[in-house]
Amino acid sequence: MLAMNNFFLAVFIILGSGILPLLFLWRRFTLMKTMASLGISVGCLIGLIDAIFKLSHGADLTASTSYLRAFALAFRMDGLSTFFLIAIFFIAFLSAVYSWQYMNNAQKTVRVAVHYLFFSLLVVSMALVVTAANMITFMLCWEIMSLSSFFLVVYNYENEENRKAGYLYFIFSQVGAMFILAAFGIIYSHTAGFGFDAAAMLPETAKALVFALAFIGFGSKAGVFPFHVWLPHAHPAAPSHISAIMSGVMIKCGIYGIIRFYGLLGWHAPLSGYIVLVAGMVSGILGVVYALGQHDIKRLLAYHSVENIGIILIGIGLGMIGISAGKPVMALLGFGGGLLHVLNHSIFKSLLFMGAGMVLHKTGTRTIDVLGGLIKKMRITGVTFLIGSLAICGLPPFNGFVSEFLIYIGGFRGAALSQTDFALSLLAIVSLAVIGGLALACFTKVMGVVFQGEPRSAAAEAVNEKGLSMIAPMVILAGTCLVIGVFPSMFAGMALRAAESLQLGYGRVPLAPFMQLTGNITRGALLFFMVFGLILVLRAFLYRGKSVTASGTWGCGFTQPTNRMQYTGSSYAGSIIGFFGSLAPLEEDHPPIAGRFPATTHYHSQVHDIAERHMQRVIVTPVLTAFDKLRWLQHGDIHLYIGYILLAIVVLLFFV
Amino acid sequence: MTSVLFVFLAILLAPFYAAVILKVKAFFGGKKGPPLLINYYTLVKLIKKGSVYSTSTTAIFKLGPMVSLCAAITVLMFLPIAGQPPIFAFQGDIIFLLYLLGLGRFFTIAAAMDTASPFEGMGAAREAYFPIICEATLFMILILFYVMSGDLSLAAYFSAGQPAGFWKAAGAPLLFVVLALFIVMLTENSRVPVDDPATHLELTMIHEVMVLDHSGPDFAFIELGSFIKLFFYSTMITRLVCPVTLGYPAVDLVVFLATMGVVYVAVGVTESVMARYRMDKVPQFVLTSFALAFFATVISLEFLK
Repeated sequence: MLAMNNFFLAVFIILGSGILPLLFLWRRFTLMKTMASLGISVGCLIGLIDAIFKLSHGADLTASTSYLRAFALAFRMDGLSTFFLIAIFFIAFLSAVYSWQYMNNAQKTVRVAVHYLFFSLLVVSMALVVTAANMITFMLCWEIMSLSSFFLVVYNYENEENRKAGYLYFIFSQVGAMFILAAFGIIYSHTAGFGFDAAAMLPETAKALVFALAFIGFGSKAGVFPFHVWLPHAHPAAPSHISAIMSGVMIKCGIYGIIRFYGLLGWHAPLSGYIVLVAGMVSGILGVVYALGQHDIKRLLAYHSVENIGIILIGIGLGMIGISAGKPVMALLGFGGGLLHVLNHSIFKSLLFMGAGMVLHKTGTRTIDVLGGLIKKMRITGVTFLIGSLAICGLPPFNGFVSEFLIYIGGFRGAALSQTDFALSLLAIVSLAVIGGLALACFTKVMGVVFQGEPRSAAAEAVNEKGLSMIAPMVILAGTCLVIGVFPSMFAGMALRAAESLQLGYGRVPLAPFMQLTGNITRGALLFFMVFGLILVLRAFLYRGKSVTASGTWGCGFTQPTNRMQYTGSSYAGSIIGFFGSLAPLEEDHPPIAGRFPATTHYHSQVHDIAERHMQRVIVTPVLTAFDKLRWLQHGDIHLYIGYILLAIVVLLFFV
Repeated sequence: MTSVLFVFLAILLAPFYAAVILKVKAFFGGKKGPPLLINYYTLVKLIKKGSVYSTSTTAIFKLGPMVSLCAAITVLMFLPIAGQPPIFAFQGDIIFLLYLLGLGRFFTIAAAMDTASPFEGMGAAREAYFPIICEATLFMILILFYVMSGDLSLAAYFSAGQPAGFWKAAGAPLLFVVLALFIVMLTENSRVPVDDPATHLELTMIHEVMVLDHSGPDFAFIELGSFIKLFFYSTMITRLVCPVTLGYPAVDLVVFLATMGVVYVAVGVTESVMARYRMDKVPQFVLTSFALAFFATVISLEFLK
């Protein structure tokens, strides 16, 4: 117990700061808000420092306590846990700071107080999920995590769309949890214990089944295609700092589950890697294609989470293939790259959600095509959003590149193998390249349409940039993107240490060659900055004493340009969406212009998500019909309900 | 030392070679054409001028030319010119360089979107679209090169007598690679049949329309950057077409520069005998390069085993 003291201290501080506002502080709004966000951030900071310290010392600690006298609640901190803890506490810390001004809504004091309760519960439950060491603990924390995030998603419950989003999320998280429970059930039936460690003793077929069930369960939390349907609904509904946490770290708990189970089961058949890799490629490409077609900035970012989960899974899948093929270096590259991308994505995605939150806060809209020119009045938001965009596109010298680089190298190692391994590695590399290109198209669209050009509506014109507590987290995150991008060695080392703690049966691999790889990125980035500096000096020299004048944009001879003539996000993405025609069906509503004096017309377009469409057709409708037929079971007669319970117990007696 | 010299030589010669294309096109058109030094005159003229900035633009508009030129020059430092080892090389540098060119593209597009011009937006959308397929092609070629050489750096592919080794190992399928690279070069550098740098209608352009609002030294940076980028791609093709090195840098350089000329003439001939494709046909054309690279990789990796 002693060894994990700091961790539990952090957990209790966070939890306490969440409960306090509801108990007696809600009458004094500002005080309540300050106490809550300050307390949560202090708790997160303690947890963060502790996690960094533990990871660098390679600690492997356990703690346990009895719960209800029947079950043991056990916790364990190893390299993998601490790595995820770093991401969780770092993002939660900044989100708590951000929330201080974002939640400036004195009319809804109680609601804000409730929000802080669930906020703290979410952070704590995520921290406990990644440290849970037996099934009961894990499931308990997992459910608290799902439920608290559900209540945060329906924060604005007056809006019907948000309620629907919450409902959808609720169903997906519960069905996902059922799959995880089923996986636990199979382990329990073989080992007759709630511990995780015995899972490695399972017979091979049971392992495959457990892995598949767990993959579906965790995949639905992580947003793996086609279980991602809730993601683009829930993220826009939640307040922006909650979207940042959910997209940045909560869905990563799904990734944690997949990696943890892979490590626990020790099922190293090639099939495991193939499943994960293919799921990653599909999620990656389709996620970014659907993102391109979105009109809502937060929905777009949510689809990018699907894409990045795809990239992470590609890394992990390559790592698994590396293990099954007996190539430890490839395995470490894949796992290390995937894990580093977990950290990187949590950083730039929360940065982008916070930027989107700032835009929403100041303009009151999330629709990309009515914005424009925001960077002129929201300089810091614009610049940090630009940095976030560059990072998410995986461009050097920012952090997204580093993890993709490691995954690429892992993929190339895989391409030197034979047959299926070769074919899948080849596809993985090409998918990564295509994902990178599409992400670039998507984020030039967001930058270009939202932040650059001229404002397309009055809402976009009257903006300002105030709120230090909202700006500071974005600046810190943007700075982190750059620091990891230029000096990745330390962070890659952390990811590799986390991957090593899985003990995947290849012994110790020297880390020096990996450090050399990332050291080269530093050298390359510094070279780039040097050349850039030279060009900067050259440019200043060339412009010395020159006349520099301002004028309107060249309209190619058109004399009456208006701001509404600018290229919109829909037209920008149109041709690329068209290329993926059948995968991303585009629905357009556009009455043709006819006659000499045409009436006003409109244009509306929507890109459909095929997973959503088919899920509706294949699962939702049949299930509803089936349950409709069973309606007679629920008749409202209490005696018969008691009869059901009796019957169930009697039937169970026969089996148990 | 020779390598540093060669990089400067490349920067110096890139505008000259671009003019070769113009000369060839003029020849096919039965005209005399501009002098071979035309691009130097243009650059000098642009550098002497001041600039006009659109009131819609921000600092990103000024960053665009600098970043794209910076990316192009950095790439040159990793490029083995005439079989000479480059100034810098590391394991995986080619991925870094391709993404660095992507960074340049991001900023070129962002600079275009900065002007609020519908035409530049149109060009930007195309510039974002077509290179996606090119990247897939390039990575497919990289896989082939990686499996054959066990290395992931330009230095290992194009210096120390390596392209010759590729020919020995892979043989004829490498012709597909040359063709695929040629298509990628045409696409990435906005040449006919993907884009027509000489057309007069903004609606039909890609790259030229994106830089409409740039002027003065900024525009000179953009021009120089695109000459260097073209030089980069044609260097790779040249080395594949003429893989031999004799070990005397001076002789190698002469052979290299002559073959470079041939590649540029080929670009010019392509431009003269073809028309630009309709915009919706371009992806099919670029996809051809992917198919070629894919077959080259699969065929030669089957034979190698």
